[in-house]
Amino acid sequence: MSNDAQQLRPLKVGLIGNPNSGKSTVFNQLTGLRQKTGNFPGVTVEIKVGSFTLPKGQKVSLIDFPGAYSLYPTSSDEKVLAEVLSNPGDANFPDMLVYIADVTNLEKHLLLFSQILDLQIPAILVLNMMDVAAEEGIRVQTQTLAAKLGVAVVAVSGRTGENIAQLKAQMEQLAGTTPLATKPFYTLTENECSVAEAVKMNFGTENGYRALLIAHHKDWLPFLSVPERAMLTTIQDTKQFQSLRAQVEETMTRFDRFVPIVKSAVQQPSAFPLTFTDRLDGVLTHRFFGPLIFFGIMALVFMCIFYGYEITGGWVEGAMGWLIEQAEALTTPLNMAWLTDFITKGILEGLKGVLVFIPQIALLSLLIALLEESGYLTRVVFMFDRMMQRFGMNGRSIVALIGGGACAVPAIKGTRTITNWKERIITIMVTPFISCSARIPVYMVLIPIALPNAGWWIWAQVFGGMYVLGVVVALLSGWVLKKILRSTEQSFLTLHMPVYRVPHWKNVWLTVVDKVKSFVSGVWKPIIIITSVLWLLSSFGPGDIASKARASAEEEIALGHVPDSLRGDLEASYKLEYSWAGKIGKFIEPAIRPLGYDWKIGIGILSSFLAREVFNSTMYIIYSLESVGKIEEGAAGDQKPFERYSSLKDRMLNDTFRDTHQKIYTPATGLSLLVFYALAMQCMSTLVVVKQETGKWRWAIIQFVFMGAIAYLFAWLTFLAVNAF
Amino acid sequence: MQRRHRTLPELKAHESAQTISFTDHALACKLTAMGVLPGATIEMIRKAPFGDAFYVKVDGVRLALRTDEAKQILLTV
Repeated sequence: MSNDAQQLRPLKVGLIGNPNSGKSTVFNQLTGLRQKTGNFPGVTVEIKVGSFTLPKGQKVSLIDFPGAYSLYPTSSDEKVLAEVLSNPGDANFPDMLVYIADVTNLEKHLLLFSQILDLQIPAILVLNMMDVAAEEGIRVQTQTLAAKLGVAVVAVSGRTGENIAQLKAQMEQLAGTTPLATKPFYTLTENECSVAEAVKMNFGTENGYRALLIAHHKDWLPFLSVPERAMLTTIQDTKQFQSLRAQVEETMTRFDRFVPIVKSAVQQPSAFPLTFTDRLDGVLTHRFFGPLIFFGIMALVFMCIFYGYEITGGWVEGAMGWLIEQAEALTTPLNMAWLTDFITKGILEGLKGVLVFIPQIALLSLLIALLEESGYLTRVVFMFDRMMQRFGMNGRSIVALIGGGACAVPAIKGTRTITNWKERIITIMVTPFISCSARIPVYMVLIPIALPNAGWWIWAQVFGGMYVLGVVVALLSGWVLKKILRSTEQSFLTLHMPVYRVPHWKNVWLTVVDKVKSFVSGVWKPIIIITSVLWLLSSFGPGDIASKARASAEEEIALGHVPDSLRGDLEASYKLEYSWAGKIGKFIEPAIRPLGYDWKIGIGILSSFLAREVFNSTMYIIYSLESVGKIEEGAAGDQKPFERYSSLKDRMLNDTFRDTHQKIYTPATGLSLLVFYALAMQCMSTLVVVKQETGKWRWAIIQFVFMGAIAYLFAWLTFLAVNAF
Repeated sequence: MQRRHRTLPELKAHESAQTISFTDHALACKLTAMGVLPGATIEMIRKAPFGDAFYVKVDGVRLALRTDEAKQILLTV
């Protein structure tokens, strides 16, 4: 390759290593903020690509592969690496590999490296965590390792940044050379050799070990065609090749070869002393204290997010209020009322829907990153694995479920740590059942309406009951989905629990930035579209709804039922009734009548799709209280929680059905509506994130229908039960 | 007849034994890749709070295993 060509085309470097090797710390040291997250084509495995420049100007595109122990994968995360490395035609196939190994545990970290050697891809062995090694009195002769393994070895510390510059220099040096054909690290057995030869002949693969990998993975490698798969099966059958057994034997042979090499190059204290980690685990994974401490920590996380929402929600309100004023000032001179309305109530309302989640996502991902980085989350998985298994999930799901109590959006984004596909899908599907902070204002309005004479104490009980309902339904749905979904992927726990560490600020910070960035870039478009549609539906209707509304308001004021001062509110209410949204509300009334709802509640439910708390402002408009609503909603600090919405409560309690003249808001209707709000999927941000995380709209649609059906069923049963009682 | 081996769940807390072999190939593949080889010393640390999982230490490496997985590991008596 000429120098010019090198300048044009970035060097593709793959960063690989076992889980817990400190790989992401090295990645962050090398690339800093110049990184972006995407998915590997076809799978939902996360890929991070960062870029940086080598000392002499060569650009590097660094691909951070998911942590793997071996090229014989047991999870979809690990499969990515085996898939890319067995196919030189893959877009992500690297020019060079940088292999990160934990030097404090080198004996267990070299298996994958020895496999890489046999694929004859230029590689550098990076011994990470030299700072910890120094503390523990471990000494390493890098020259001995380099000579015996036949590769460049660099000892670094990802946390302190020690020797990162030397790693870059080493990459530069290796990039200029052509790899020598070395003797394989692992010599294929006779049987493996004959299989590899047959694969080589038919596929044109030159490397024997790569040919063997293709034979091992014939069932799932996506680049193989049906006839190719059939041919590989024939090869395996005629050679009587037993894939799994061969994999185990190969692994053991490799260990037999490199363990003596490691022993000759690394001196470490012979015993494994009872360390800080062991003592801490004695408490943190204790039979009684372990779960207790966990729930304590989660309660803290929950409170942080809850209060964070109270505070930052106010900031967002303030900022949006200012923006709306500006937009009104700018557009009013144009004399196009619809444009002002569209910008303030459509676009900006949608923007608010995105903005309110950002502080929550940042805060939750910060707290989770701290727990993850410290090593605590793996202990949580260990403690709760059994419990969550019963409900089709895994130990890590509990973190998502608890995060869902604040907001399902960041919680669902956090499920990437669940490697089993089925367990992850179930976790994503059931997390929105947990009552999130957006449901709180709706509960505050509806509880006193459902039980007007019950008083504060009972109201608080019902409020707590909504959370219990959410958890119970989430777990039951998990159990049902476990029975329905099929997965061929074997579920393992077999989890390595790393030593406890103080989280590295850079890793935590970059995680938070990454989560917020990928949320915003993924959701803003669909949210603006959905918001605009909802605005169109509630602003327009058949005919001239504005003048019809004006006429109706005029009529009612003339009758003397309503004072003239409320003319504006009354017009807004009639306008909504005559709009398409109102028409749809009336159209779906027969469907929701069994639950005890009228068309006004229908509109409320429809508009809640923007975000659940929009139910309240819609109700204010419907009951001609728009101006009152702004005052009541604003009076957050001065009143007791359940009293904030008192005039809305009075107006709603007196409302009757037009045909039967019976009261709409009986305890049965109120409780049924509460149950509906607790269980229905009414959050477009969540749906968009589900699409983003699963890669398909299909799962978002299934979730919408599934949760809607359950909400309808439970609400209906509640209505019947309360009426019978 | 004296038994020639036992399985991991039979170990008491802080009891150690050597691994002999694994009875499931897929699990053997995973465990050997993580460095749990036949002949390794495995120490039982504790059971999970809600049962069904074990916290063990293999050559200083801490692992969590389900009972189903632990049963596949044959140990010296």
